[in-house]
Amino acid sequence: MATIELEHIRKEYGSDIAIEDLSLDVRDGEFVTLVGPSGCGKSTTIETIAGLTKPTSGTVSIGERDVTKLPPKDRGIAMVFQNIALFPHKNVYDNISFGLQLRTFDDTEIDRRVEQAADTVQLAGMLDRMPSEMSGGQRQRVAIARAIVRQPDAFLMDEPLANLDAELRVHMRTQLQRIHDELDTTIVYVTHDQAQAMTMSDRIAVIDDGDLQQFAPPLECYNQPANLFVAGFIGSPAMNFIEGKITGDGFRSERDIIDIDFDPQTIDARAGQEVVLGVRPEHVLPAKAASGAVSEPIDTYIDVTEPMGKEIFAYLVTDRGATVDMEDPGAAGQLLMSVSPTADISEGQSLSVVVDTSNLHLFDANTETAIAHGLAKQTGVESETTTNSGLSSDD
Amino acid sequence: MSHDTQPPQDGGDADTRGLFTNWVDSAIANPRKVYRAMFATVGIFFLFTTLFPLYWLTMIALSDGSRVSEGVGLLPTGFDPTSFIEIFQQVPFHLYMFNSLVFATLTTVFVLLIASLAGYAFGRLQFRGKRPMMLAVLVISFFPPAAFFIPLFQLFNQQISFLGITPPELYSTPGGVVVPLSAVFLPLAIFILTTFYGQIPDGLEDAARVEGTTRLGALFRVIIPLSAPGVATAGILTFIAVYNEFFFSFLMTGTAAQDWAPIVDGIISYRSQFQVRYDLMAAASIVAVLPVATLVVIAQEKIVSGLTSGALKE
Repeated sequence: MATIELEHIRKEYGSDIAIEDLSLDVRDGEFVTLVGPSGCGKSTTIETIAGLTKPTSGTVSIGERDVTKLPPKDRGIAMVFQNIALFPHKNVYDNISFGLQLRTFDDTEIDRRVEQAADTVQLAGMLDRMPSEMSGGQRQRVAIARAIVRQPDAFLMDEPLANLDAELRVHMRTQLQRIHDELDTTIVYVTHDQAQAMTMSDRIAVIDDGDLQQFAPPLECYNQPANLFVAGFIGSPAMNFIEGKITGDGFRSERDIIDIDFDPQTIDARAGQEVVLGVRPEHVLPAKAASGAVSEPIDTYIDVTEPMGKEIFAYLVTDRGATVDMEDPGAAGQLLMSVSPTADISEGQSLSVVVDTSNLHLFDANTETAIAHGLAKQTGVESETTTNSGLSSDD
Repeated sequence: MSHDTQPPQDGGDADTRGLFTNWVDSAIANPRKVYRAMFATVGIFFLFTTLFPLYWLTMIALSDGSRVSEGVGLLPTGFDPTSFIEIFQQVPFHLYMFNSLVFATLTTVFVLLIASLAGYAFGRLQFRGKRPMMLAVLVISFFPPAAFFIPLFQLFNQQISFLGITPPELYSTPGGVVVPLSAVFLPLAIFILTTFYGQIPDGLEDAARVEGTTRLGALFRVIIPLSAPGVATAGILTFIAVYNEFFFSFLMTGTAAQDWAPIVDGIISYRSQFQVRYDLMAAASIVAVLPVATLVVIAQEKIVSGLTSGALKE
């Protein structure tokens, strides 16, 4: 058990910068997920913690011990890899006990620990099999057993479930959470799958372009995204973005699609400021059904509907005859709405919708940072501008 | 149809044409016949050129020693299989073989050790100057070994010193053969191992290092075992090449078995001032081939590729 601390990590590959300036503070026993799009630097970050990659500058500490210059074997960590990486020439027992044998534990202790680890991941009775005789899920469990058997200070997991099929992934996700509860060890987990990030972690570190965007509990990232990137990345389907300007009495969208009235003073915005309004699909509501803190109705037409079973996604356009540009969901004049499956909507139909003003997000168009979350009423707006406690922003 | 397009060369009917013409006609209609014929020709030629000398050598070995000078045909002249025993009685041929095997084994061990380290660096690490260095290894491998011989001979006989240091006398020791031959056969092994080590997925090495090995430990515990076919190939090629090597092993050693003389000296020693025992030479040659032949048969089973299949999900 240990804390993990990254201070001003910078990693360059030749002239490419993989990590710009990353600082991260993982508490003891915490399950932290690094999430971001492909190539954002999250794998480089976890490799830096593991010691497989040396940072160009910055320090890595594990359990208050500076390990920046230590090789991976002396860092007290264990790692589960995306490609599982079992040793194909060794059987399950030898795979799990590999690290223990290198550290010259006595045989009975190794036996005891291997059996305990195999029990934890439900692999008992398979210890003499070869990796090639096992299914993907079983191999992944061996890899996890190999990690837990050494009782390391921290686990690093680099997309461990990425190569499993969907059903197995959900199953292993629950198992991992159970293992975390049992062992109570610090876990740093890398994924590009936000479902895993949301469900498993204590805190999420959203990384883009080698920079930490937000470091907060999952729901805080969802409800109070620190900037446009986090808002667009967390949540599926993605948040709607509407470009516009702050005026003396609220928000005016570029093409007058939607206007929200509020007092800009209360949220530290100034008139004339270019902003982006963000609204999640579930906060776009049919005007008929809505009441309370909602906007003026917007006239739209339903272009495409996607019935998902428990909900229906409806792609709305403000101009009759226009079609939704699926390539660019943020394009002006289109909105994505999520409604309950009982809603009476069909493609081509015109529909008047409102947005839930208590769940709106306002971002500065230039700096892309959040200005406010929730513009409940014309006056008395909740002005939670700095809700991201763990954020280390570069601007 | 072929009657019209392929008029017979002798101008006669199908009945009067020769066997060869008929075969050519049918071969044009059925090209697979030609491929079969070509395969048979090449196969028979290959088998004949490789196996016949061995067969004839056996016939000489089995011949009666006193009658070999009459000439040996497809069957032995006289019959005397005792020459296979006599070769060990007349000279300590087993010691000559032992010397050659020591050269081959030591060289193989050195070559595999050094080429493994080089192969790891070339195959798995990125560093400046990697390509020029590999090219240099390749170029050096094309130098004729004979070019190094005279300076090395003088060095090993302590006739010259290197940078003011006179090395121990390596002439007539295994060192005099193993050191230059290791250098000569290293490039090939380096290239084979570079290819094999380069194919082992990074994830496995990373896993080994996180589990507690150093880079070198990962090389010996994970990468080399998984590259077993490549290591075996490089090892066997080196072993056979050194075992068969004539130039350095003959010239860097004395002529007596206790002076580390190799097999070739043993074979030559059946030639005395008054007679040449061709039957003993032939028998000794056949016995000398046995270790290598055995090695190849065993190794063929050991060289199994696809050991890594199923190890990783790609």
